[in-house]
Parts: sequence; structure tokens; C-alpha cells
Amino acid sequence: MNEMSPRLHVVGADLDRTDAPAKTDGSAIYTVDISFPSMLHAKVLRSPHAHARVLRVDASGAMGMPGVHAVLTRDDLADVAPTYGYFIKDQPIIAIDKVRYIGDAVAAVAAETEVQAVAALEKIVVDYDPLPWVATIGDAMANGAPQLFEEEPMGVVPAYGQGASGAKYLGNNNCYRFSYETGSASAFDDCDRIFEDRFVFSRDHHFHLEPFVSVARMEGDTIDVWTSCQNPFPLRKELSRLLKYPENRIRVQVPFVGAGYGAKNNCKTEPIAIMLSRKAGRPVRFCMTMEECFLTQSQHAAILDVRTGVAGDGTLVARDGHIWLDAGAYSDASPLVAEKAGYRLPGPYKWQHLHIDCDCILTNTTPAGPYRGFGGTQASWASESQIDIIARALGIDPYEFRMKNLKDLYEAYVPGESGIDSDLRAGLEAVAERIGYADRESGNGRGMGLSIGFKDAGGVNKPAQARIRIATGGDVYLQCGTIEIGQGIKTAMSQVVAELLNTRLERISYPAMNTDYTPFDQGTNASSAIVVMAMAVQDAVLEAKAKVMAFAANQLGCSVDEIELEDWTIRKGNESHPLNLMIMRYYGGTGYEFTGEGFRKAAMDHAAPLETQCVSWEFGWGAAEVEVDADTGLVQLKQLVVSGDAGRAINPRVCRGQDEGSAVMGLTGALFPCMVYDGATLVNGDGLNYRVPLATDIPEGFVSILQEQGHGPGPFGAKSLGEGCMLPIASAIANAVEDAIGIRIRELPLTPERVLAAIDAAK
Amino acid sequence: MSGEFVFVTFTLNGTLREFHVRPEEMLVDLLRERCAMTGTKIGCDVATCGACSVLVDGAPAASCSTFVWQVDGCNIVTIEGVANADGSPDDVQRAFIANSAFQCGFCTPGMIVLARALLDHNPAPDRAAIRAWIGANVCRCTGYEMIIEAVEQAAAARREAS
Repeated sequence: MNEMSPRLHVVGADLDRTDAPAKTDGSAIYTVDISFPSMLHAKVLRSPHAHARVLRVDASGAMGMPGVHAVLTRDDLADVAPTYGYFIKDQPIIAIDKVRYIGDAVAAVAAETEVQAVAALEKIVVDYDPLPWVATIGDAMANGAPQLFEEEPMGVVPAYGQGASGAKYLGNNNCYRFSYETGSASAFDDCDRIFEDRFVFSRDHHFHLEPFVSVARMEGDTIDVWTSCQNPFPLRKELSRLLKYPENRIRVQVPFVGAGYGAKNNCKTEPIAIMLSRKAGRPVRFCMTMEECFLTQSQHAAILDVRTGVAGDGTLVARDGHIWLDAGAYSDASPLVAEKAGYRLPGPYKWQHLHIDCDCILTNTTPAGPYRGFGGTQASWASESQIDIIARALGIDPYEFRMKNLKDLYEAYVPGESGIDSDLRAGLEAVAERIGYADRESGNGRGMGLSIGFKDAGGVNKPAQARIRIATGGDVYLQCGTIEIGQGIKTAMSQVVAELLNTRLERISYPAMNTDYTPFDQGTNASSAIVVMAMAVQDAVLEAKAKVMAFAANQLGCSVDEIELEDWTIRKGNESHPLNLMIMRYYGGTGYEFTGEGFRKAAMDHAAPLETQCVSWEFGWGAAEVEVDADTGLVQLKQLVVSGDAGRAINPRVCRGQDEGSAVMGLTGALFPCMVYDGATLVNGDGLNYRVPLATDIPEGFVSILQEQGHGPGPFGAKSLGEGCMLPIASAIANAVEDAIGIRIRELPLTPERVLAAIDAAK
Repeated sequence: MSGEFVFVTFTLNGTLREFHVRPEEMLVDLLRERCAMTGTKIGCDVATCGACSVLVDGAPAASCSTFVWQVDGCNIVTIEGVANADGSPDDVQRAFIANSAFQCGFCTPGMIVLARALLDHNPAPDRAAIRAWIGANVCRCTGYEMIIEAVEQAAAARREAS
């Protein structure tokens, strides 16, 4: 039960973000701005081969180069655990026996300047024995294909609940499979129509403007790391395992983060920076260029086969799916993404039977990892495209077809799962009405499409801890591990705290992350902060507040029921008692701090497929209007209407920014070239050649509608937000393209070349 | 690389500054490393994303791809120099704050100086003009609408004040 204040004065208000002054006057400090006297700069020698044995690495020539203080090669890995990863520990800090993609790290140098470090890299001699490579899912799965790993790396398959299972290393570069099944496959027997479609999804790069960067230094026996990172505690744990170093002697600090969109999870620059720093005895900064970021992390390209059975009256009955994700050269977060892509493929519809397999296929390309939407983007692309295909084939309006088959509010997603905490029909109605779907004139190159992006949110089995400290004068510290990565969480959490303490937002400070002091958190991801961490924050506030009230009641010789807290003053009838005076009278003139601790975690539940019930269900309703030029294949977006359900918007303006930002990010995968490979070579992996949406790419008819349906599990009814609105974009646009020209395109992105080819093929 | 130094003089946020610079020294590096002005960021480093934007004689320039010697005699304004004389945020900064026209904030210094240049040249831009102008820089977080609205508001405030 949420504690609902009778008059909300902070929650729900469009207050200025608490990070606004620092971010608008240039004083906000990011990891790229951290600097120390005598700090060295690291640069990495990267593999020019997609796949090769590393025969010899001779770095002796680099050591004597001007300014060079340390060189790191595979010879330095003897005393460390050399490989990292999420479920499967397969990615080496520095290449050991093989390189597996163009860009794989082979050696590193720390020098007094970056220029000196780059010059020294040129003196490192590496002999390679090139091997055949595979750069696509199809090639990697072929019989006789070159294998990225000849021996299975160590790894684990986590426990799953009802209907779900996992397996690793199934042969032919398949490093992980997630499966989910419910109901009997015989449900297909009763279907009047069965639709089978293959969908293809390209891969975007996150294009976070602050690169992967960290600064490492030794302070006595403590490893100090500043990093642009969204999961510092899991990073600390992984660094501890890699370096065989105690967790409490590794201090990870995270200042402002210049965005991540998923990319800034787990090891990136940190192991190399730390190892070089320890060798050199000086602070080391490792700041990648944007080109290197393209060679470090990407979204998952995917092939999705979807088979859906439907009754003659348009009732969805059963769905089978097989997804193949392009994992790139290392497993990274692929098993987790597979779990989510597979689990989300059904979409928010009523089914009698589901069976989905999702495989992670290793290829000799940039490792794919977490990317906003986390498999849900790929799943929504296929699912919502096929929903339209089926509706049209049955002669049912795609809007009505969705309305008929959508889950009801509070209906369990699948057996053992929590109920859907949004009214799906209300959301669809909102975007359809706003874009004018019912009155559209289809054809002649102009059309509209709908889509409902869908994901489970809040993370799986995620614990959250928070601490509140209230100083003598009523100034509040909120200590929790959620990283301010742009989403506005410092502001939103602070608003929750201010509301519960009946005080002003300016009273709340939210210190930057330091793993020595900040309570533990598993990471800023999965749209979890406002539904998981915020509840821990709420508990912490209420505990601290209860202590304050008990103290005040005791001092005033009355019961807690007789007093109220108002901006650090106790009201008792007409009396007003400033708390700072009461505190100093009792605790002494040097003051005191009241504290509160909060903890939240969903209960383990083996009946739930992912072992805990989903905390909150996140949606992005989308509607697109396009104009397709039949001569050029250019898809012009005329209108884009998106909507998320904040449950209760803690700060509506911040929520709006999340919905609109995620929608525009979704445009990249829908309409822009994404990462283009020539064989195993990425050809557009730099700022000049890679196109992300600009202001000039956004139509005037771009609108977001913020819903506050009030069913969320977070404080005051808040729900997860920030990923949902990227999920429906590609399918809404493809659905609009078919509405416009009668041609279904099943492969992304919808570039002019692809659309024109489809138009030509249909002639 | 040359061992020769070049003597350069320019106005930086209202103060005349003199530097001996290497010929290959980039303006962004000088600002960040020698002037302690780290508000100007490096994103793509190839003059495309605009995170490094500063004003050179009132026009936005990519400081990641501008040699210091190129700005000899110029008037440079960075994010640290856009505030009013009394230190309060200027009209563009105020509008960015009031519209939450930023998220991670990494592009924001560049966006603010970019918007400032527009309003200094055209105090009454329409939405299309603002969109076209803001299209010079990348923001991966916001989806741009709230930035465009902030610039509209700043323009309106400036017209009201004049």
C-alpha cells in the first residue's frame, strides 16, 4: 500500500530538474572531466582481423617510446582471471589465443599523452594466423561453419520457473538458448488460419555521446575507479573476480553519465585502465573514441520466425516463435537479451498456447549487449507486424483486431505471472484517436499504422536498498544506487522524498554514486528505478520519518497522532516547534542525523516463468502516418504519435522527455541505415558516417501523450517508463507503409533501397 | 608535428587571453585542459555531433576540429560564458531549465550555445527555422521537441524583454 499524502504538493508537479543548473552552465562533471596530476592516457591496439589466431605479441618496442609508462599484453594476464561476461565468461581483457572480431583488444599502452600512446601502439608487433570468419547469423549457423570458441567457455544457466528453460552451447556458434512454453501445441489444430512470417531486424549502435571512459588509480591498497557506468556494483563484483582483489578494496565512483541506453553495463574500459595503472604506478585514463565505441558494443540484429494460429472469428489462439539473435563475438548480455526477446514475443494478447525459442548466435562482429528495449524491440517488431498482417488477411481492421485480442487490465500475462497493470485498450484508443486512424484515407502512397510495444519491466529478482539521512536542520540526503543517466531519476526520487517528508524539493540532495557509501543496487536498467528502487526509498523515508515523529512526540509529551511534520517543523494544533531546536536540546548543540533504511525485492516464485513475478508491465502505444514515394522508395514520416503510461507521473515533463526520446531512438532502427557491414568490416562506425535522427528528421506531427492510469506498483501509483515508446516505432511505420502502398516489408531498416526493391518486386 | 609554438590572442568569455600553442592544438583541448573549461564536450571528434560547439565571433563552431591558431583575434564564447553578467542564467539557459530540455546533459552546452547563436542572429525564428538550426547538433536523449520548445520560449522572452 502506498502512503498517499492528502495534498500532493511535490509529486506530480512539473518542477525543474534538480540537475538543471549543473547541466546548463557547463559545471556538471562527467567521467571524461576527471583528471589527476601525472595522469596517464591509455590506448588500445585493436585487431585488424575478424578471426585469427594470435601467434606472437611483441610489445618490447612500445616500452621505450617517448612518454610510455606501461604496456599491457596477454603476458600480463597470468595472475588474473582473464575473461568476463554475464552468464558466460568468454570475453578476455586482452586477446589471448585468438581475436574474434575487427576491433578486438590485443594490447594496451599507457603514456603521458594520447598521441604518445597511439605512437607506441605502432611499435607493437603482432603475428596473426587469419582464420575463416562468419559475420551473419545464417553463416554462423551453417554446418561446418568456423567456430568462434573451439572449447566451451565457463558459464552458468540460471534457474527458471514455470515453462521457461535455458541451455548453453548447442553447437554451431549457438552460445545460449532461452525457451518458453505454455499450453498444448494441439491448440494449433483448432485454428482456422495459420500465419508464418520471417522478420529481420538490423542493429543500431547506442551512440551515447559520452564515450566509454574510466579513470583508475591506486590509493594505498584501494583501487579507485571513476567510470561512465550504469551498474557500478555488479562492475565492482566482476572487477573483484577478474583481478582477484577484495570487493571492499575496489571503490567505484560514478559522476554524471553522458547517457548509456544500456551500453554502459559491465566491463568496458575499467579492467585495462586498472591494470595499466597498477603497472605504471600512476592514474590512468582510458577514454575511447567514438569509433572505438562502435567496436565495443551494439544492439542485437535478429531473425524472427513467427507462426501464429487464429480462429475464424479473429481470435488469436496460438503462437510459436524462433528468434536468432546476432550476439557478435562474445556472449556479453546476449543470454539475458534472449530471455527477454523470447519472453516478450507473444505481446500483450490472449493465447492458449505459446512456444518460443531464442538463440544467441556468435559472429565475428562487434559484441552485442544491452540496448534500451532489451530484446523487446526485436520482439515487438515481429509481433506487431504480424498482428497487422493477420488482421488484413482476415479482413478485420487492425485497430479492431487488437481491441478484440488484447489482455484485460489485471489479467495475468501468462500462467504464474502478474497481471497487466495498464488498460491496453485505453492506450490504443488514445493514439488512434489522436492520429485520426479511423478516418484515414489509405492508399495512394499515404497510410497509417498502429502498434503496441511491450515489455516486462523492473528487472528480474532485483533487490534494492536505499538510505535516508536527515541532518539537524532538516536537509536530507537520499542515498541510493540508481545512476542519473539522463532519465531524471535524481529529480523524480527527490520529489518522492520531499512529498513524503512534506518538505521542499531543494531540501533533498542525492549524492553521486560511490560504492564505499552508497547502498547496494544491481544497476540502473530495466526501467526499474521508479517501481523497485523508489519503493525502497519510500520505505527508508517512512522509517526515518517515524523516528522523527516518535522523537518529537516524546519531547512534546504527546502521542504521534497529535502532531504533523511540515518542512522540519512539528505542528501540534496551533503550536509550532522547530525540529532543529528540539534536536539540539536533546542531542546537544553539535546536532544529529535521523536515518532510515529501505529494502525491496520481489518474492522468489517458481510458478513465475522468470522466477519472480514481473514488477510492472511497460507499454508504448504508437501510431504512424507515412507518405511513400513510389519512385524513390523514400518513407516520409508525416505523423508519429506515441504514448506511455506513467501510472502516476512524478514529474510529467521528465516523463514526456523519456517517451519522446525513446520514440526518436526507435526511429533509428526503423528508418536509418544502422550498422552496415561489408563482410566482417563495419563500414559506417564513426560519427561522420553513422546517421542518428536529427531535429530535422522529426516531423512536425510528432506528439507524445502521457497517460496516468494509476495502476502502477511504484510510489503514488507510478509505473516504469523510458523504454516503452521505442518499442512500437518500427512496426507502426511498416504497418503504415502497407496501409499506404499495399506492400508488406518484413526486414528493417525501411531504407529507400529496401522499400524500392519491394515495390519493384511487387510489380 | 612541429616543435614550433604559435602565439595566439583571443577573447574568451569576455577576457583577453594569450597562449603559446602547438600548431596542431585543437581549440577544445585548450579549453578543457588549459583553461579548466570542461563544459565543452567531445562527442564524435569529427565535427558532426556538435557536443563541442562554441561560438566564434557569434557563429557556432566545432571546437574539436578547430585549430587554436584559427581563432587568433576572435571572440570565443563557451558554455561557461553565456550566463548574464551577474552570474544568473541567460534567457536560453533559463528556457532549457524551464522546459527540461536536456537529459544526460552531454550535448546541452553545445545545444545552448547553438541556440544562443540563432537568437543573436534571428530574434524571431519560427519553429521550422529553429528545427533546421538545431538540426546541426545531435541529442540522442530528448527527441528534440522539448529543445525546440525551449528555444521558442527563449525567443519569446527575448522579444518581450526588448
